Order: sequence, then C-alpha cells, then structure tokens
Amino acid sequence: MTTPAKILLIDDDPDFREAVTVILTSASYAVIPASGPAEGKEKILREKPDLVLLDIMMDSLFDGFSLCHDIKNSKEFEAVRKTPIIFVSGVKQIAGSRFEFKGGEQGLAEPDDYIDKPVKPADLLARIEKHLKK
Amino acid sequence: MTESRDLVLIIDDEETIRDSCAQILAKSHYAVETAENGKDGLQKIRDLRPDAVIIDLKMPGMSGFDVLENLRVIDPQIMAIVITGYATVDSAVEAMKKGAYDFLPKPFTPEELRIILARALEHRRLAIEAEALRREKKILEENTITMVSHQLRSPLVAIQQYFEVLLAGMAGSLEEKSKEMIKKASDRLVRLLDLINDWLDLARIDAGRLVGKLKPVDLRPVLSKLVEFMVPLAREFDVDISWHAPEGLLSMVLGDDATLEQVFTNLISNAIKYNKPHGRVSVRLGEEPDFVVVDVQDTGIGIAEKDIPRIFDQFVQISRRADKKLKGSGLGLSIAKKIIDAHGGRIDVKSEPGSGSTFSVRLRKVSADTIPT
Repeated sequence: MTTPAKILLIDDDPDFREAVTVILTSASYAVIPASGPAEGKEKILREKPDLVLLDIMMDSLFDGFSLCHDIKNSKEFEAVRKTPIIFVSGVKQIAGSRFEFKGGEQGLAEPDDYIDKPVKPADLLARIEKHLKK
Repeated sequence: MTESRDLVLIIDDEETIRDSCAQILAKSHYAVETAENGKDGLQKIRDLRPDAVIIDLKMPGMSGFDVLENLRVIDPQIMAIVITGYATVDSAVEAMKKGAYDFLPKPFTPEELRIILARALEHRRLAIEAEALRREKKILEENTITMVSHQLRSPLVAIQQYFEVLLAGMAGSLEEKSKEMIKKASDRLVRLLDLINDWLDLARIDAGRLVGKLKPVDLRPVLSKLVEFMVPLAREFDVDISWHAPEGLLSMVLGDDATLEQVFTNLISNAIKYNKPHGRVSVRLGEEPDFVVVDVQDTGIGIAEKDIPRIFDQFVQISRRADKKLKGSGLGLSIAKKIIDAHGGRIDVKSEPGSGSTFSVRLRKVSADTIPT
C-alpha cells in the first residue's frame, strides 16, 4: 500500500483552498494547507511534501517569488530543495509567459510550473502528476 | 544627501572674484567650493554634485559657455548662474539658451548675488519636487490599477473555482438541472472575468504603460508555443488548429513579448470561438520585404463588408457565430489594435461571409545580428 503523495497548498484565500482541496483529495492526494509564506516555510520543512502549490499573492507579490527562491537556493531549505513548486497565479499569465513579474530577469529562481486561477480540475491534476513523475 | 546646506561651486579664473564670492556665500551659510578654470570646474561638478554653480563667462581655455553645455549633460537640475563682465544682451541670451538659470553682470553687490542664488535654488527645489511627485503619481496609478484588478478578480476567481469543482462532480453528484444552471452561471462569470481583464488593459493603455520596453522578439517560438497552448480550447470548440511556419523565414521583430502574446492570444481565441463546428483555424507565419506577417485564419461565418471598418473600434460587438451564442466584451480587438499601433505595425482583416476571416498582423522586421545569409 503506497502512501498518498502530500501536497502543500499555500494560499491566503480560504475559499480557494477549500475548492482546490476537494480537487486534490478526489485524486487521493493528502493536502497540507498553509495561509501564507510564513506558515508555508514552516510546513514545508516539517511535513516534507512531494509538491508545493504556491499562490503568488498580490499584496505580497514578492513573497511568493522569494519563498520559491529560498527553497531552491538557501541553505535553510536544503532538505527540501528538490520539491517541485507550481505557482498558482491570480494575475493572468498568458501561454506560460510570466509577463506581470519577470522573476527570472530579477535574478530570482523560477518555479517548476505555472497555472492560472481559476484552475480546471483536470488541468491541475495533470500538471501535478507530470511533476510528481519526474 | 544628508547635508542640509546647499553646495555652491564658483568657477572663475580671477582669484579675487572667487574669494569674495566665497566669503559672501559663506556668510549666508552656503557650503562653498571653487575652481579656477572650466576643466577643473567640470571635474568638481562631477565629483561633488553641487546644487548651484556660478560661472564666469570669460575665462581663458574652456569658456563659461563650454562649461554650461557640459553641465547640462552631467545634470540638468544643477542651477547655473553666469557672471558676465560685458553685460551685453547677446551673451546673456546665449547663456540662457545654453541652460543658465540667470546672469549677474559685473560689478555686483553681495545682496544681488545672494538674491539670485536664493531664487535659483528655490527653482531647483521646486523642479526636484515636481519630478518626485510625477514619479509618485505614476507609481500610484499603476498600483491602483493593480489593486483594483486584484480586488475585483479575487472574489470572482474564488466563485469560479467552486463552480469548476462542482461541475467536475467532485463535490457530490449533481442533478442534471443543477449542473445546467451552474454551468450557465459559470459561463457568465468567465465572461465577467474577461471583461474585467479587458478594462484593466484599457486602463493600462491610458496610463501610458501599455507597451513595455521594445526588444527583439522572435515570433516563431512565441507563436508555436501559443498555438500549442490553445489546443485544449480548440478541442473544446471542436475546431482543428494548425501552425505553419516555413523554414528560413525571418521572424524577428522589435516588440514587447507580453503584449504581442496578448494580441495573438486574442486573435487565435476569437478564431477558435467564432468558428463552425468541425471548423479550422490556421496560424501562418509569412514574410514581406519590411514586415513579418502573421495570419490567423478561421472558417467561421465571416464578417460582412459593412462591418469591417468598425471591427477594431471599442465596444463594437459583431455577431460572428451562426448560433449567435458567444459575444465578446467588444474590447479585445480594439486593445489588439492599440498594441499593434504602439508597435508601429498594422492589423487588418479580410473576410468572406460564409467561408471565414483572416486577421493579419504586420510587424516591422528587425535584422538579427548574427543571421548568416
């Protein structure tokens, strides 16, 4: 019996968290919710999830990017460095191009994938599966 | 600059002038530096960044006029007051044309010097403040647009997300009637979200930051990726989408990749949505002597000739589907045209009612530095 994959869901909107949790549990994933970058940091180290869904929050646009950067670069997160991170964005991104905030150009680490809100359940699950398989 | 004292630099070849000016200004609590020729003066300007410079027009070597010209290049906000020994109108006028704030004919009294300097520094202070306010206003405008965007979209996104979950049957099975109603509500919501996006785009256009810095963009990979991205949508509308880009075509243009992507996304998505069942959409890359051409062709019902002139106007919603089901916000094509116009390009449409339409975007070619012929 394989343990279900754990997904850390970092988003400040409780309704969005609830809706996405239903999607994830319907595919038998275990969901770890976090309401912001601070809680996200703590939980990624404690729970060691298999994948992270990270909302690029408008009020703290920079926080989402800097958390991703820290996870992929800083010593503090070495244990979880390889965890795939998918940015979930309420700021519309077209065709995968990150035009609102070119994090890469500013020297910040890029996430493993991007997906727009609202997500189509099938799309989200397909992306997650793709990254978990790697 | 934490120093609250203004720094004044005096450039004059005569020692007596330098000393007396320095004394007068020191008494008024200005910080003072001096230079005995134009060349040293310019160096001190570069190194010390004074708030004001007093320049003697008639100096051996580099003249006061030369210093003025160079000063403007280094920092146009530094106030220059010229001292002229021959108080003719000509030299004063020439000095002002070269950017001097005012001139002081010799001989002058300490009071006259102080008054002119005080006025010059006040002028400088106001100019700096105005510039800072302008910058702040711009940031505020941009932040407001972003804030409004977030506040409007956020609750709608949450609602739509619930709908998606419900429609996917993941929150329990739905009665057919319930499912139908939720689907209709969801469709209306999606259109509302699109409308908000369009309005925000327009707001950004008006705020003048529509098209970011232009740089070389290779349209070939951009479009190829975009078409791939649109395949799910095409499938949803039972339409076949294809991409044609002959080898060897030059596809490099000067543009802003984000807004260009927006234009092509809009055109391709229209071509998909305003199409016949089992219809086709083809996206083609072409080349003309001065332009790179992108054609987006559909097999929809076409556009009547009388409607073609208005199609890029704001709020014009022309029925482009036989079943008259979908209607856009009326903003998409007007935004697309604004973007292409801002790029110095052209967007046109050719249509045959009954068979379909072709939207063509032309963008100026840019020669890639390293393309071997």
